[in-house]
Amino acid sequence: MSYSFNFGVIWANLDTFLLGLALGLALAFASIAIGTVLGLVCAFASLAKGRLLRTVVAAYVTFVRNLPLLVIVLFAYFALPRLGLRLGKNESFIASLSLYAGAYLTEVFRAGLAGVPRGVIDAGLAIGLTRARVSLYVVLPIMLRNSLPALGTTFISLFKDTSLAATIAVQELTFVARKINVETFRVAEAWLAASFLYISTCLLLAAGLRRLERRFPKF
Amino acid sequence: MKRLILALMAVSSLTIISSEACLADKLADVIARGKLVVGTGTGNPPWHFRDESGQMAGFDVDVAKIVAKGIFGDDTKIEFVNQGSDARIPNIVTDKVDITCQFMTVTAERAQQVNFTIPYYREGVGLLLTEGGKYKTHEEMKTAGNAVTVSVLQNVYAEEMVHMALPQAKVDQYESVDLMYQALNSGRADAAATDVSALRWFIKQNPGKYVDAGYGWNPQTYSCGVKRGEQDWLNFVNTALHEAMTGVDFATYAASFEKWFGVRPPEPAVGFPGEMR
Repeated sequence: MSYSFNFGVIWANLDTFLLGLALGLALAFASIAIGTVLGLVCAFASLAKGRLLRTVVAAYVTFVRNLPLLVIVLFAYFALPRLGLRLGKNESFIASLSLYAGAYLTEVFRAGLAGVPRGVIDAGLAIGLTRARVSLYVVLPIMLRNSLPALGTTFISLFKDTSLAATIAVQELTFVARKINVETFRVAEAWLAASFLYISTCLLLAAGLRRLERRFPKF
Repeated sequence: MKRLILALMAVSSLTIISSEACLADKLADVIARGKLVVGTGTGNPPWHFRDESGQMAGFDVDVAKIVAKGIFGDDTKIEFVNQGSDARIPNIVTDKVDITCQFMTVTAERAQQVNFTIPYYREGVGLLLTEGGKYKTHEEMKTAGNAVTVSVLQNVYAEEMVHMALPQAKVDQYESVDLMYQALNSGRADAAATDVSALRWFIKQNPGKYVDAGYGWNPQTYSCGVKRGEQDWLNFVNTALHEAMTGVDFATYAASFEKWFGVRPPEPAVGFPGEMR
């Protein structure tokens, strides 16, 4: 191995790297927020009595989970404008990742719901709460507590998926690393720096989620 | 004294004779061999690639054929050596090829290693637009300022390069050429900035779909390269190329130029030779 490292270019471009990381995080947070709402709605809908609603949710989850995210991203970015829907490149990526996140989170929340003991629901109903209130005050907290470990994994995975935005010229961390790579030929340094930033961010996210898990009351 | 001078003269004439014997004569070698060994690449239309029938084709290939025709009166007497871009200079220096014609940009730095022939093309960057799109010319795009988005292949100084022509345009860098074209097709970009040769080839491959904004910048000269110190050989190749661009073989050069770039090169003016101006 005759490669000689020179991290100078990384320091010189640190602000660009950090901006890329910030953009990636922003994309991830927006998509996770929308995806969580989508997932919650779909998870509850999948328990609905109506067959139609259940079928719609099942179709959505099956369809999206069996598509590579990159295909969704490229479709939303390149094909949708031709079909008359034009979103900006960031918005188009957020829409894609939200849709994708929604499908995975539906499954996470569904598993959480399955873990809510029948007894507590009956107890809630027995003390005179309406069905809606039982869902909100009894089922939701227990389900969230049940879902937290899997939720953490999914969030981190979704954050890493923002790297695909580089394909549609969104200047997030992977894009920046590739750019520095092309411009300076410091191949190893650029990818190592990106890896370091991804890993440390994911570790921070994981630590935050673990804290949240601990602070949640146990049932 | 007279003897000494005579002796010196004898020695020096011997040296001249022997050094002449040592002097390689590439032109004579090529003629004796009966074929021209040309270094070029594959897979880069319209420059050098294999066509549907597996034959070498492209503008670089046609330029090599002009040289072979000049030597043998037969443009098929060529052996192509397939080489990567990084082998262009080494293969000339080590005599693996007689000549390299492989979209080689002329730089003073490279000219220290090989001799460049006269140029046969001047590359630059141009703007590809969709037919019937929002903008028709470079001027219109420049006036539109930052309302314009340009797609470009991710590369060193890609953004600065676009800004030389369109100072305020938004620049989207893509990792591959097909994504760059897709951005243009889907309306994500108003123009794609790419090499003029690639742009013209693309327009020709997709008739009626695209137009050239009619502005080229960022010039680079393309020449063939030969080994240093082979002045006769260099002169010969230069003569062949020169006459292809201005003289008896203009029809061949022009037909090839039009075939690969979709436009005819300017006719050499008859009368006073323009290049002497």
